[in-house]
Amino acid sequence: MGNDPDSVRACPNTAREGVTFFVAGSYIVRAMMARRRPARKRSAKGTDEAVPGDARAGADERLLVEAAQSDPAKFDALYEQHFERVYAFVASRVRDRATAEDLTSEVFHKALANLPDYEWRGVPFAAWLMRIAVNCIVDQAKRAAREFPALDDPPEVAADPGLQASELRATENRSRLFRLVGELPEVQKQVVYERFVEQRSIREIARRLGKTPGAIKQLQLRAMQNLRAQMEGGHG
Amino acid sequence: MAKRSLAVQLDEVVQAMLVSLRPRPEEAPDLNLAPLMRVAQVLRELPRQEFRATLKSDLQRRATMNEGTAAASRAGAAAPARAAHYQRPGLTSITPYIIVRGGAQFLEFLKTAFKGVEQMRMPTPDGLIMHAEVAVGNGAIEVSDASDAYPAAPTTIHLYVDDANATFDSALQAGATSIYAPTDDHPSGDRWGAAKDQFGNHWYIATPKGWTPGPEGLRSVQPYLHLREAHKMIPFLEAAFGAEAMGVHKSPEGAVLHGTIRIGNATLEIDEAHGEFQPMPCHLHVYVPDTDAVYAQALRAGATSIEVPQDKPYGDRAAGVKDAWGNSWFIATYLGQ
Repeated sequence: MGNDPDSVRACPNTAREGVTFFVAGSYIVRAMMARRRPARKRSAKGTDEAVPGDARAGADERLLVEAAQSDPAKFDALYEQHFERVYAFVASRVRDRATAEDLTSEVFHKALANLPDYEWRGVPFAAWLMRIAVNCIVDQAKRAAREFPALDDPPEVAADPGLQASELRATENRSRLFRLVGELPEVQKQVVYERFVEQRSIREIARRLGKTPGAIKQLQLRAMQNLRAQMEGGHG
Repeated sequence: MAKRSLAVQLDEVVQAMLVSLRPRPEEAPDLNLAPLMRVAQVLRELPRQEFRATLKSDLQRRATMNEGTAAASRAGAAAPARAAHYQRPGLTSITPYIIVRGGAQFLEFLKTAFKGVEQMRMPTPDGLIMHAEVAVGNGAIEVSDASDAYPAAPTTIHLYVDDANATFDSALQAGATSIYAPTDDHPSGDRWGAAKDQFGNHWYIATPKGWTPGPEGLRSVQPYLHLREAHKMIPFLEAAFGAEAMGVHKSPEGAVLHGTIRIGNATLEIDEAHGEFQPMPCHLHVYVPDTDAVYAQALRAGATSIEVPQDKPYGDRAAGVKDAWGNSWFIATYLGQ
């Protein structure tokens, strides 16, 4: 086990999931491709340039990966691009924030350590990260099962490819929403973090931001409306 | 006007969602709320900015050190992520710690009556329960056998369940006796019954009816404290734990008819002791970001010390205080493995 993110597939109990997930890689590719925003229409005739746009995005990503492979200090750029995606995926599979953070951390550390082994074969880097994530989640579930044998919570990873595809689409949507929070006007962003991450009450947030509770509720509403509009608008 | 009311309604559902793990967006009264609630549900999983930044710099350090093996990376990885996490996985901010005679039988009762799932059991050498944890719904109950140092302390728990009648029946089958069968006439408006188990604990078994915004959207397991001069408990909890009173109904004379108090991500309920619902001093396990600070605040607020803060072998920093009503509060901060 250890360094090789694929090693979990050698375990009899998880081999099936690993393989299924690998097969489902095609779904990942499609989900990732579908997510990329179509390229802006450059000609007056309004030619749809979605496909060249995808190719360009793929080439950009390849450059980022190759840069990081020759200089690990450049892993930053990949982290920036994929953090929300990995976190969204992991968080949807585990019960609490602490575990989600531990696993996200593990995924990126493994990715960094195994980056020299990553080969560009047209499979998005994100798909490779997701496979590491699945393996980390399976490992963690097994560790938990050893710790609490009574806990009836088997790691049901990628049992069904159909579900996998919809889950990946959901992951993409969630990670996009996480990114959009960062683009909210500063005070709306603050309210979102205070309310949902810190889980503070409206009264506490009002006190901290020096506003009335009514104003905080309005900001919360605007933030949600903004996010919803952005999510809908972004589908192009 | 309409706009303002949407903001208020949204917050009511968000509040219910943050405290409870069972939001009910599909039953939201305003059609415009449903899509916003889908956004809100995703935001519950929003990553912490500090975590994102800490992990980034941690990776940068690893990348530039250029000598860390994957194993070393993994060992170092968890530390910064955990630092801000003060709750032991599986537990919330408030967990009742029930000390009983016949701990093993009590665990069976929790499993049979309430579909409890045993998460942990540490026996003493003579077969008693030193410590056990049982998940019930989206909450948990901790259990220990009574000893000379810790005599049995039956507790009152308000349980939110999907079907009060079915749960009430299974509690009776598991050996509890009825105080009153589930009724729709309870002042809360919920379907509500009460039972007493063979260990002396009282169980209020309730199903919220329809869409109930605000403090009724709660975690499955709520400690319920019947207190004399209950109104004085609220400032104590505010001062000691930074608690917040979320909904307090008082009689014209100022007696607390019902109050919901939030600490962190969980709540407990209080009211003025009355009739057969008399004080039952109990033990509560509270996870806080800083045990030492809360311990000091609690003493300033009038609590007495049971145990000064110290690092425990099981990975918590923990302390204990007793409040003026005789309840014990185990204050803890999870330090990680």
